Amino acid sequence: MTHPQPSRRQLLAGIGAAGTAALLSGCVTSTSSSKNSSSGAVTLQSNLSAPQAKAAMEDIVAAYGKKKSGDVSLNTVAAETFRTQLPTYLTSANPPDVYTWYPGSVADAYAKKDLLLDLGELWDGPELKGYSKALNSLCTASSGKKVFVPTTYYWWGMFYRKSNFAKWGVSEPKTWDEFLDLCDKLKSKGVAPIGLGAGGNTAWVASAWFDYLDIRINGAAYHRELLAGKHRFDDPQVRRVFDRWRELLPYFDPNGTAGAFQDATTALLNGRSGMMLIGTFFADAAPKDALDDIDFFRFPVIDPKVPLAEEAPTDGYFASARTGRREGVLDLLGYLATAEAQEIYIKGSSGTVLPCHPDAKDAGTPLVTKGRKHIEEAVEITQFFNRDSSDALQPTADTALTKFLAKPKEIDSILTDWQREAEKIWKA
Amino acid sequence: MAVLTAPHRKPPVPAPSRGGRARGPRRTPPLVLAFVLVPLLAEAVWVFWPAVQGFYLALTDWDGVSAPTFVGLDNFREMASDDVFRGALGHTVLWLVLFGGLSALLGLAAALLLQQERRGVGFYRAALFLPVVFSLVATALVWQAVYQPDGVLNQLLESVGLGSLRHAWLADQDTALYAVIVPALWRQIGYVMVLYLAGLKGIDPALYEAAKVDGASAWQRFRHVTLPQLRSVNAVVVSVIIIDSLRSFDVVWSLTRGGPYHSSELLSTYMYSTAFQSLRLGYGSALAVVIFLLAFGVIASYLVRAFREAD
Repeated sequence: MTHPQPSRRQLLAGIGAAGTAALLSGCVTSTSSSKNSSSGAVTLQSNLSAPQAKAAMEDIVAAYGKKKSGDVSLNTVAAETFRTQLPTYLTSANPPDVYTWYPGSVADAYAKKDLLLDLGELWDGPELKGYSKALNSLCTASSGKKVFVPTTYYWWGMFYRKSNFAKWGVSEPKTWDEFLDLCDKLKSKGVAPIGLGAGGNTAWVASAWFDYLDIRINGAAYHRELLAGKHRFDDPQVRRVFDRWRELLPYFDPNGTAGAFQDATTALLNGRSGMMLIGTFFADAAPKDALDDIDFFRFPVIDPKVPLAEEAPTDGYFASARTGRREGVLDLLGYLATAEAQEIYIKGSSGTVLPCHPDAKDAGTPLVTKGRKHIEEAVEITQFFNRDSSDALQPTADTALTKFLAKPKEIDSILTDWQREAEKIWKA
Repeated sequence: MAVLTAPHRKPPVPAPSRGGRARGPRRTPPLVLAFVLVPLLAEAVWVFWPAVQGFYLALTDWDGVSAPTFVGLDNFREMASDDVFRGALGHTVLWLVLFGGLSALLGLAAALLLQQERRGVGFYRAALFLPVVFSLVATALVWQAVYQPDGVLNQLLESVGLGSLRHAWLADQDTALYAVIVPALWRQIGYVMVLYLAGLKGIDPALYEAAKVDGASAWQRFRHVTLPQLRSVNAVVVSVIIIDSLRSFDVVWSLTRGGPYHSSELLSTYMYSTAFQSLRLGYGSALAVVIFLLAFGVIASYLVRAFREAD
């Protein structure tokens, strides 16, 4: 196959044209009022980059394409890059149209700045009308505008391998004391009782421990208020969380802050650690044959008087208010809200998430059935540290919590520093 | 010039500086002008203007979404009482001394060792230069595997009976910064070596011969011939090292993200996390301004001194 060779003059003309076009587009980006054209495929920016999740997203896009209602261009971006770039995407003049992201306070922060598309007419439509009241309010911005389409949710719990627990002759604990006994037994067998994975790029995993201890000791309402800046991190109530956590520190894997959660998951699956507080998303990177051997138990109740709350983050989509393809965006989001689309995702991924659509079937495995019951029994649901507060507050928790894990005796100064850093974020 | 030599006419004598026909100042061909102006325009739009905007943003409070609010010098005032900033500044200075100093010393040593054309010397030069070819992020990933709790380094220590020294190298605040310097150094030495090799090749061999004739020892030849002759290369190496030290980011970010709890935080990583993780872009820009002023100040003062000495 031969390629025509451009002449020098053509080449120079081409470079000149490209440069001019680029310069002009630079000028365009500086004006915020411009809109992109309404033609072309709807762009779907996805942070689901784990192999199984990514493949499942491709399945959804392919299924939507077959319906011939519109074209979608899927762009998968590494989760961390996506998170840091999201404000830039949303404020640019020519933004991607639809985004995977989180509802609640995270979406509301963008909605307050008029960056999210009003999805009211979609929520009035047949698909989303059947969604639960809790999901309805979770997807409503403080202005009353609907800004989010929830598709799946998952749960956090203490995960372990059934075969390993059987081998070690231990069983699920129900109370805090039984939990401590379990830790003792595992330790006596030479196993690190609790895996963590707050090293590498996933220091945020440690926040799950803070969240759970806080919602078990102080309750979900206090926890949400704390993350919203209505209480202080150096309050005595927060101090109680760390007193309790300190009881557990001898049982944590000493390498808990040296590797990412994927390393800690591997250690759990290999039987080097006994259990791990993690969300079901870890299964997306786990070997399929290990999935049947995975089980979990509820984070032990510490104070029975505190209403039972669980972390069950909801995932889904929002769209840019600056999209030039509003009709296409609403059509795509309408499809993503269907039971069919959610079942395609569950089938293509590890299948450990639960669909938001009331008619959609989950994977039906014993693990998922148990997970659904686990969430339904909870009186309150929390999302996760960054989802109940903001992405900006997460680094302050990462620093405070990893320091606590290394230097628990310095808890007073750690909490003072955390409060000071958090204030900067709340004031910003 | 027949006209000037014609005997029967007395033409006006042209001014000596003028020759031939009178014409205006030479015009630059438009294509050449375009080759200068287009890149300049592109540079202005994509480099100078954002840089100027960065200076402006340093005087604002901005979350990256709402419009920036002007706060004057508040960001710089906050820096004065910011412990993390002070820590990051200290680490950056330490990084400059260790990473800069060692890469200059070891790069020069490697260049001196490998300057002679011997059999196989090309292989060693290539081997030392090889890390420069890899991306720093890829380098960091390899070193991450080395530093893992069950990684090569700990296994090596175990196998030679030094198991007591096993360590979570990147997760311990006492070792994280030094553990991160090693991969950065591993890469930089080859680069500095090449700069010095080029400098060494440029030294006139007659100088060494003359020194030998005068009875100078190897150390004296190095001290009084090699080092003074490398002065111009030194200026380049020092500038490169200072710039590379202050912009060191990728390797630290890939390995530790400035952690654990800011123990390997450099000004560059602190700037990034403040701006893009905590979404305080005003404060992040103020940190960027400090980094710029430091780099510019150190390099300018060094170069001024170096050139003054050269004169």
